[in-house]
Amino acid sequence: MTAGAAQSRDMAARASGQPILAIRGLKRRFGGIVAANDVNLEVRRGEIVGLIGPNGSGKSTLFNLVSGMFKPDSGQILFNGTDIAGMKAHRIARLGLARTFQIPALFENMTVTENLLAAAAEGQWDGAHERAEVAMQLLTLEAVRDNRAIDLSGGQQKLLEFGRIIMRRALLILLDEVTAGVHPNIRKIILDAIVKLRDEGATFFLIEHDMELVRSVCDRIIVMDAGQVITTGTFDEIARDSQVMQAYLGRRA
Amino acid sequence: MKRWPSILLLVVILVALALLPQFVNAYWLRIATGALMWAGLACSWNIIGGYAGYIDFGHSAFFGIGAYATAILMGGSFGWPFAATVPVGLVAAALVAAVIGGPTLRLRGAYFAIATWAFAEMLLQLVNVLEITGGTGGLSLPPFLDENFFYFTMLAAVALTYGVTWLLFERSRFGYKVKALRDHEAAAESMGINTSLVKLQAFALSAVLAALFGSIFAYWVTFINPKSVLGGDITDQMVVMVLLGGLGSFWGPALGGVALFLINRLIWMNFGDTAFYIAILGAAIILVVLFLPEGIAGLFTRRGKPGNSLLRQSLARLVGRGGRA
Repeated sequence: MTAGAAQSRDMAARASGQPILAIRGLKRRFGGIVAANDVNLEVRRGEIVGLIGPNGSGKSTLFNLVSGMFKPDSGQILFNGTDIAGMKAHRIARLGLARTFQIPALFENMTVTENLLAAAAEGQWDGAHERAEVAMQLLTLEAVRDNRAIDLSGGQQKLLEFGRIIMRRALLILLDEVTAGVHPNIRKIILDAIVKLRDEGATFFLIEHDMELVRSVCDRIIVMDAGQVITTGTFDEIARDSQVMQAYLGRRA
Repeated sequence: MKRWPSILLLVVILVALALLPQFVNAYWLRIATGALMWAGLACSWNIIGGYAGYIDFGHSAFFGIGAYATAILMGGSFGWPFAATVPVGLVAAALVAAVIGGPTLRLRGAYFAIATWAFAEMLLQLVNVLEITGGTGGLSLPPFLDENFFYFTMLAAVALTYGVTWLLFERSRFGYKVKALRDHEAAAESMGINTSLVKLQAFALSAVLAALFGSIFAYWVTFINPKSVLGGDITDQMVVMVLLGGLGSFWGPALGGVALFLINRLIWMNFGDTAFYIAILGAAIILVVLFLPEGIAGLFTRRGKPGNSLLRQSLARLVGRGGRA
């Protein structure tokens, strides 16, 4: 499907109030470990939804299932009205889904500019060079535009990973700890960019351990533990939830 | 290097090469023809090995397919004109690349290298016993002894090879897709790039270009046998030429190809055999990996941090460290 078709389809779906992402009964097992155990959740259009939970609770697995990196054992993943469960990753991406990786997954031997252009190579290519300029400006990467990604600092790599997201013009963006381990200045640049993209119509679903960030940008939070969604709500609701406290801090003695 | 100086340099080089037969004798023209062929072959290997990051140790198979297609079809029972045999070789190479590439391009690092090497060995043994290929005895082609014809044919093939490479890998979205999957396949896939398809296209293109030079080579030397067009040393030379010139760079294969071929000829002229040359290939690999990982081309471009070179990453992948699906 072309970007234009995806866009017009999105307009129709937006009017109907249908969620951009609806997951029903999603299961995936790795040997004896049940990484996704009957996951049910929804992300609505224009939301910024935080996904939190202890290490090993299945957050990254969920992202890998939604983005097509892993195939689910069973269940349904409706993305913009299409069931994408088990679909190949590049086909899901072409429907308008973009993601970042927990460990930056840059094209290391390509320059900053080339990384941005590569992100648009399978999408809207017209105007890609101009959009790369805008992204570099927004993310303060102009000075290192001709540097190879492998030669960048850790913070610049995080910025570039986000820059590729900007190039994708996606409907739904999955961010896996996009600000982990970066300087507060860079964190601020990324947060501003998230809000800007959301204002332009994108929906965000993000894994985050930084509770301050979750509190400041997320409209709603989904909490996972042991491969299941245990609760969902606003930050204040979640903070009062005893189940969440138990998952994070252990059972009260 | 910025784009316009590069394309201008290309034009200047082409004009100089077109005028070369006016200034050199037949002996040096033959050497120039050989140098062109190796520059082209190195470029074809660089497409799969450098741009796509799949180290192919069986690329001689495609050179041999082109050579045998021309030799068989120009020979006694067919008697086709040369020009008609070339497309057959190209199509055969593309089909074989698609059939071989389908399963082997799923294998990364050493596995792909071993699978392609095994395929080339298998083809060599097959050609050794088949009747249509003349077995170990090889095949003779109708002699055509116009050195200018072969020089200009080779020049046209090299211009085509570098032109196509320039347009596809330095100036188009296809090049970004190929380099993206080389550097991170999962990330490329997550950006909508059909990595299985794109790397198969890159592999087929590199095979087709190698076959083109095989066809011309067979007609030029008028006699081929399994060793001369399918030998593993043909692949070895392509690999070392690319590494010496600069893995994954546009100009690298031309620089490495011409440099190593001239060294080869100089050794042959002075010592009368090429055993010493094989030793030089080995030494060249070691020296390049240790001291010049971005090759000769790297001397002309801004270099990043040492140790971050594509060559060292590819080697790490080959021995199973830092590898990534």
